[in-house]
Amino acid sequence: MSDNNDFKSKDKEKEKDIRTSNIVAAKAIADTVRTSLGPKGMDKMIQTSKADKEVIITNDGATILKEMKVVHPTAKMMVELSQAQDVEAGDGTTSVVVIAGSLLSASQQLIAKQIHATMIAESYSLAATKAIEILQESVAVPLDLNDKKSLLKSASTSLNSKVVSQYSSVLAPICVDAVLSIIEKDTGMVDLKNIRIVKKIGDTIDDTSLVNGLIFTQGTAHKAGGPTMVEKAKIGLIQFCLSSPKSNMENSVVLDDYRKMDRFIDQERIYIQKICRQIKRTGCNVLLIQKSILRDAVNDISLKFLADMKILVVTDVERSDIEFIAKTLNCSPCASIETFTKEKLGSAELVMEEQTSGGKIVKVTGVPGTQTVSILCRGSNALMLDECERSVHDALCVIRSLVKCKYVVPGGGAPEIELSLQLANYAKTVGGQASYCIRAFAEALEVIPYTLAENAGLSPIAIVTELRNRHANGEKTAGINVRKGAITDILEENVLQPLLVSKSAISLATEAVCMILKIDDIVTAR
Amino acid sequence: FLFGFFLKCKMANFQPVQLFRGGSVEERGENARMSNFVGAVALTDLMRTTLGPKGMDKILQSMGHNGEITVTNDGATILKSIHVDNAAAKVLVDISKTQDAEVGDGTTSVCVLAGELLREAEKLIEINIHPQTIVEGYNLAASIARKRLEEIAECNGEDAEKFEQDLLNIARTTLSSKIVRNDKDHFSRLCVDAVLRLKGSKNLDAIHIIKKPGGSLKESRLEEGFILEKRIGVGCPKRIENAKVLIANTTMDTDKIKVYGAKVKTDSIQTVAEIEDVEKQRMWTKTQKIVDHGINCFINRQLIYNLPEEYFASKGIMSIEHADFDGIERLALVLGGEIVSTFDHPEQVKLGTCDLIEEDMIGEDKVIRFSGVALGEACTIVLRGATEQLLDEAERSIHDALCVISQTTGERRIVLGGGCSEIECALAVDQAAQKTSGKKALALEAYARALRQIPSIIADNAGYDSAELVSQLRAAHAEGKISMGLDMKDGGIGCMKELGITESFKVKSQVIISASEAAEMILRVDQIFKSAPRQRSQDP
Repeated sequence: MSDNNDFKSKDKEKEKDIRTSNIVAAKAIADTVRTSLGPKGMDKMIQTSKADKEVIITNDGATILKEMKVVHPTAKMMVELSQAQDVEAGDGTTSVVVIAGSLLSASQQLIAKQIHATMIAESYSLAATKAIEILQESVAVPLDLNDKKSLLKSASTSLNSKVVSQYSSVLAPICVDAVLSIIEKDTGMVDLKNIRIVKKIGDTIDDTSLVNGLIFTQGTAHKAGGPTMVEKAKIGLIQFCLSSPKSNMENSVVLDDYRKMDRFIDQERIYIQKICRQIKRTGCNVLLIQKSILRDAVNDISLKFLADMKILVVTDVERSDIEFIAKTLNCSPCASIETFTKEKLGSAELVMEEQTSGGKIVKVTGVPGTQTVSILCRGSNALMLDECERSVHDALCVIRSLVKCKYVVPGGGAPEIELSLQLANYAKTVGGQASYCIRAFAEALEVIPYTLAENAGLSPIAIVTELRNRHANGEKTAGINVRKGAITDILEENVLQPLLVSKSAISLATEAVCMILKIDDIVTAR
Repeated sequence: FLFGFFLKCKMANFQPVQLFRGGSVEERGENARMSNFVGAVALTDLMRTTLGPKGMDKILQSMGHNGEITVTNDGATILKSIHVDNAAAKVLVDISKTQDAEVGDGTTSVCVLAGELLREAEKLIEINIHPQTIVEGYNLAASIARKRLEEIAECNGEDAEKFEQDLLNIARTTLSSKIVRNDKDHFSRLCVDAVLRLKGSKNLDAIHIIKKPGGSLKESRLEEGFILEKRIGVGCPKRIENAKVLIANTTMDTDKIKVYGAKVKTDSIQTVAEIEDVEKQRMWTKTQKIVDHGINCFINRQLIYNLPEEYFASKGIMSIEHADFDGIERLALVLGGEIVSTFDHPEQVKLGTCDLIEEDMIGEDKVIRFSGVALGEACTIVLRGATEQLLDEAERSIHDALCVISQTTGERRIVLGGGCSEIECALAVDQAAQKTSGKKALALEAYARALRQIPSIIADNAGYDSAELVSQLRAAHAEGKISMGLDMKDGGIGCMKELGITESFKVKSQVIISASEAAEMILRVDQIFKSAPRQRSQDP
């Protein structure tokens, strides 16, 4: 029997080791992204492992983690945690990881006190449920979707912590307008796929604009001197090719006589001309052509004919964009010339090619469809542009979550401190080990204001204790004003974030932590 | 005297005659048995920490270079994915798989019980009891245990309300050791509702589980009808009432001639254009044939190219492309249609039907919902959660619960959990042992001890004093309080009936049968041959 006991104690040792290594790995991830939290958070430069060593500069938690290529199992789970937050709320991807890290270090101490891991997990999820209740009841402020100012404030709060923070006054209204215009009337759903973000290098972020219509970055095909501006456009969206015919079976044209060569060239011209005429006959004056991988979508001959017919041509339209375009222009795509009729054309007030500093773009404005918008992102270099796109996406998500759940909470660490206080009180009403765990949970939430202060170069301890004091005196909206470096009423500073973001950050972080806590072994599988 | 014979064998082994091809390994008698015990016991030790409501999870890290990870508590999943290079351990892996296929749950219990039986057998062999005697004893013990289990089993099958409560309790007990334990009430309700919709049918394929990261586990829900994670073709109607659906697996680009290098030669571009035209015509004819089925929704497993898609759109038919194999088969099942590949005889084709097809949003994605489907019982469980691993594990847990519940709708008897039935069976075996003369009695006692290990491990995993609790439990059962079991919430013993900890009779009895059989099988072994590995020209 004594052998048996030895074995067991060794087992327990191993269990502890694995749990510790899991927690350490997860905390390491949290520490990496910690410094990027808040308006004064720093950015990370990531050199990707791809062949060209592409560099990404970002402040977005989800992006940092996605590119980090971690190997440790629990570290991977943290990465996915931030991805889930990205899907659910779109913002708060850094916070969720930081909270999870803090909860894990709290549980490390609890485990050291001989509290069973499942007990901790159970109490944590109890605390999380209570926390969400508190958020909903005593912290959240209802929001009216017609109140554009509050929406703007929320969008700015999200943008302020990004690389593009200095342009938040430009980007915030764009994001708010974009989301508000695509809310589906009857269901109230928001599908962000109805917002197309188009990137084009050149100019500055200031020039980013919202376009009620379409933007093509490829410019018109004007090799043959076609028009570059069409008013009262009749737009055709075609999925067939304007080039010499090609059957699905392999084919070859064999010419055995030089005279046949002339005939061949003639025939090709006549063939294409026929198609182009048919297109013209429908009254179409703008043609969007889907990219084809099997053969050339257009060739010089067809471009020439189309130019002669004063038809503006945009080529290389991706198949994935077809639905968006069809919806915007109110047209239907045509897959063969036979079905290309007048009824299938879409319309727009103006299709115009614009010369910008980074190249030509085509803008289609005055479109009949109202359920779609495009955002044209501009930026001086590719890095900036990518980060701008990510930030805009985050801001769009913030607005979307406000549409989903019409409440906001103050930012600047205010809700976390309030939760921490109220949960500590709640812990007193629960008996036993659970009470201990809930108190640890409450304290762990203070990591957000602590980190905010730390990143802003303030004294974290002084700030957090003062914040605690102010909240205990009933100032529920007191938060860290990073700009002033002091504690103020955060609502007056217009720092708002959607309730959904805070809510999902807490519930997702808790779920992931509970899962990590319950693990006692890592087994290599095939 | 047999033992002496074994010894002689061993002696004779000193100058081995080369019987087998080089590389083969042969283990005999005591050695073979030892290696079996060691393998089985090691495997059991790996599994035992996952048992019970406070059992822990394992991370399975895959050897592949992307190093995928799985977090799980499910015995079958762990055993399926680990590398085992021991004959006995492989047997345990197999019984766990059988248990999974047979009843879906109790995969850990069966492995742990078999391991404990072997551990006990090892002690008996040490005191010179022949393996066959042990096998005989175990066999007898198993039948006694099963008889007792049948006696204490209860059946509320007649009373619909009580039965539903039973199902809920069973689901809760199954889920209480899984990742979803914090929301087990929610999930047990969900599982029971899903199974009750099936109205006695055991076809779990009608319950579709889809996983969407984001949200929390609490937001998981049961949706009526079927949900397909695809998008509707461009320009098609997005909402169809009284849908007639044709489910197909056919190429919708071109009907190619499947001869390698088929080629046409022409001498003018006109001819090429004509060929292209004919090809287009063929496609149209095919599409027209499909339309002639009188459908308003067409779902294909493969891609639908632009040309047919446009044609369908113009006829007001919803087309959905690239629904994968799994999707197609389920659709065919729930919509009551057939999967079709040729379209010449519309009158012979069975079309799928449903009341409404529409788009819906889950998380960030749009999905297609089929409601009011022909197979009225079909439903979809939408799982939400923080990470991919969490969702996968939740899916496995839900699957286990669904299996057990649907089993119970057939075999309606239930037994009490929390180690209660094990202790009661052990008691019955012990009593029988007292009346049995001969060495068999020792085997019976050993069997009872192994059974008692199950509650003991459950208590150990929860960090309680297992020796104290199990002895309390034994005393209570000896006094006739047969509903007493471990209460892992308060760390004491309590009435399982009041706590609502019940398990399916079928699962429990299957655990006893499979574990005993496996243990017997391993015990009978006295020789192991390992064939030489196949020679490979190059090491991969």
